[in-house]
Amino acid sequence: MTDRPPILVPIRVLEGESVPEGVPTLLANAHVVLLGYHVIPEQTAPGQAQMQFEERAKDRLDEYEAIFEEAGATVERRLVFTHDGQKTIDRTITEHDCLAVLVPNATGAVEDVFVAVRGTVGVDRLARVVAGVFGAMDASITLYHVAENEETDEDIGTLLDGLVERLGDRGIDTSTIETRVERDRDPLDAIVDASAAFDVVVMGETDPSLATFVFGMPATQVANRFLGPVLVVQREPAPNQREE
Amino acid sequence: MTEQPVDVDPGGQNVAGEAPAAEPEAVTADTTVHDDDVELERTIGLVGGLAIGIGTMIGAGIFVFPGLAANNAGLAATVSFAIGGVIALLVALPTSELATAMPRSGGGYYFISRGMGTAYGAIVGLGLWLGLMFASAFYLVGLGHYASAVFAELGVGLSFSPVTGIGLLFGVVLTALSIGGTENTATLQNVVVGILLVVLTGFLSYGVLDAVGVFGRGSVPGAFFSRGHFPVLTTAALVFTSYLGFAQVATVAGEIKQPGRNLPLAMVGSVLVVTVFYVVTIFVATSAFGANRLGQFGETAMVEVARDFLGLPGAVAILGAGLLATFSSANASILSASRAVYALSRDALLPRKASEVNLRYGTPHVALLAAGGPILVLVATGQVELLAEVASFLHLIMYGLMCVALIVLRRRNPEWYSPSYRVPGYPVVPAVGALASFGLIAFMQPASIGIGVGVMLVSYLWYRYYAGDVTLKGDI
Repeated sequence: MTDRPPILVPIRVLEGESVPEGVPTLLANAHVVLLGYHVIPEQTAPGQAQMQFEERAKDRLDEYEAIFEEAGATVERRLVFTHDGQKTIDRTITEHDCLAVLVPNATGAVEDVFVAVRGTVGVDRLARVVAGVFGAMDASITLYHVAENEETDEDIGTLLDGLVERLGDRGIDTSTIETRVERDRDPLDAIVDASAAFDVVVMGETDPSLATFVFGMPATQVANRFLGPVLVVQREPAPNQREE
Repeated sequence: MTEQPVDVDPGGQNVAGEAPAAEPEAVTADTTVHDDDVELERTIGLVGGLAIGIGTMIGAGIFVFPGLAANNAGLAATVSFAIGGVIALLVALPTSELATAMPRSGGGYYFISRGMGTAYGAIVGLGLWLGLMFASAFYLVGLGHYASAVFAELGVGLSFSPVTGIGLLFGVVLTALSIGGTENTATLQNVVVGILLVVLTGFLSYGVLDAVGVFGRGSVPGAFFSRGHFPVLTTAALVFTSYLGFAQVATVAGEIKQPGRNLPLAMVGSVLVVTVFYVVTIFVATSAFGANRLGQFGETAMVEVARDFLGLPGAVAILGAGLLATFSSANASILSASRAVYALSRDALLPRKASEVNLRYGTPHVALLAAGGPILVLVATGQVELLAEVASFLHLIMYGLMCVALIVLRRRNPEWYSPSYRVPGYPVVPAVGALASFGLIAFMQPASIGIGVGVMLVSYLWYRYYAGDVTLKGDI
C-alpha cells in the first residue's frame, strides 16, 4: 500500500468515547491520525489536567492504537489537552495533512459505501479517500448527486463519469460502482434519506455559510442522523493559511 | 512554524517526596509540546489577552480610586495615575521579553524561579498567590460599595452598612461559580470589557468637552498640587493596584496563541489603554467637582460625577458599569490566583494535591478554594486602602524581581534563553523599572509594608521547610 490516505479519528478520550466497533476494520487501509483530546473548562490550566490525567489517557490511547494496528492501519497519535476542541481538531487536520475526518460511529462489515458528490471542487481528494480506504475491500460504491436546477444531465454525467474514471485509475473495479442522481430536493434531506440503507457515508465538507453557523455544518447534521460512520473529506487547505 | 526548545531541568524533592513536574520539550505558536506527542493547546488570542489585562485593571482605577485619590492628592492625583502608568509600562516591557522567552503558566513566578532560583521563586510565587487574594478582596469590597450605592439609589434605607456583607456574598458566589461553572466565560469577559470601554469612552468624551467649557459651564478650578507634592507619590503607591492586571496576562502565558507576538501586544497594549482611561477619568472627575468634594464621595465618587453631567441615567449607567467592572476584576483575580497555585504545585512548592482537578466539573477546586476562602477573611476587614496597598506591595516585589531576572538572564545569556521580543533600551529600562518598583514601596503606609514583609518572610520560611531541596533555576 503506497497511498494510504491520512484520516483523522478524533476521540474524547477521557469522556468514555472509545473506538466504535467496525471502525478499525473500516480504516484498515488508511493512515490513522489518532487524536485523543480532552476539553477542559477555562478555570483549569491545560497543564493541570495533563498532570492528573495524562497516564490514564495514554493507557487508553495505547489500547486504541493497538486495535488500529492490529486491523492493519498505520497509526500516528496525539494527546491534546485543550479549552477548544474544534480548534484542536482543525489544527491537527492541517498539521497532519489529513484528507478526511471520521465521525466515529459503530458499523458492521462494510458492504456498501455511500459517496455524496457535491461538485467538481475537491473531487480529486474525494477519489483519493474512497480509493484508498475502500479500494482493497469487497464493497460496492454508490456515487450520489443531488442536482441543482440549472444543472443539465450532461454536466452531471461528466461529473460522475469523471469520478468513476479517477477511481478506476486508482485501482477500483469500476463494475462495483453505481451512480444515482436526484433532482428537486433539499440536498441534506435527500442525502440522509438515501444513505440510510448504507454502511458508511463519505461526503465533502461544505463552505461555512450563515445557515451552517445556525444549524451546524451539514456534515455534522448528516452524522447525527445517519448513526453510522461518516468520513468528511476536508477542503484543500488554502496555500497561505498555514503561516497565519 | 518555529519550534522553540525548552531546556530547563528542575530537580529535587519536597518534604512530601514530590518532585517538580517535567518541563515540556518545545513551545510552538499553537501548543506546548511534551514528550510522546502530548500537547497543550493554546486557545487565547490577542483580544482575549487584552480583555484579561484590561478587564482586571479597569475595575479598580476608574470605579474605586478616583474619590480616594483626589482626597489624598487633590487635582495632582492625575499625576499619581500617570506615574503608576509609567512604572507599569517600564515593567510590562521586560515582562513581555521574559514571557516570549518562557511562555508558560505562572507568569512572574515562573520567570523568577527559572532565572534566579527557587528561593526567590518561592517568595514571589507565594506572594503572587496571596497578592492576588488581597487584590480580589479589594475588588470585592469595591463591588460591595457599588451594590450599596444601588440600594441607596433605590431609596432602600438600611440600618447597617451592607458593604462587607455584599462583598462576602459575591466572594462566595464567585468561588462557587468558578468551581461549578463550565460555561464558556472567556467570550463573556470580552463582551464585558467591550461594553465597559464603550460606556467609559462616551462618558469621558462628554466629560472632557464639558471640562474645557464646550457646554458653557467651565470647570471648577483648583490648585493643582493642593495637598503638596509628597502625597502625589503616596497616592501613586496606593493606586498602583489599578495596574496589576498586565501580569495576569503572563499568568496564562501558557495558553496564549502565537505568544511571541500576542504576549507583548496584550501586556503593553492593556497598560497603555488603561493609563489613558485613568488619567482622563481623574481629570474629568476632579474638574467636575474639585478635589475636595470629590474626596468626600469616597469609593463611588464616579457615580456622583456621572449624575452631575448626565443626570440619573448617567448615574445608573456608571453604577451598572461599576458593578460589572469590579465583578470582572475580582473574577479574573481569583482565576489567576488559582493558576498561581497550580504553578507552585507543579513545581512541588505546594502539595500536588493543591492543583487537583475535580472529576465532575474538571475545575481545580482545591486551588480555587485556596484562593476563595482567604479572600472572604480579607473582605471581612473591609479595609479598601490597606487591601489595595498590600496587593500592590506583593506585586511590586515581583515586578522589581522580574526586571532583575531579565538583567541576570541577559548577562548570563544561557542557551535556552531566546526571547522573540527584546526590550528596547536595555539595560536602562529594566534597571529603572526595578528601581521604580522597589522605590514606590517606600511611599506606602507602614501597616501595608509590615504585612507585605511578613508575607515574604513566611513564604521564605515555608520554602526552607517544605521545598528546600527543590531546584528550579535554569542552567545559567
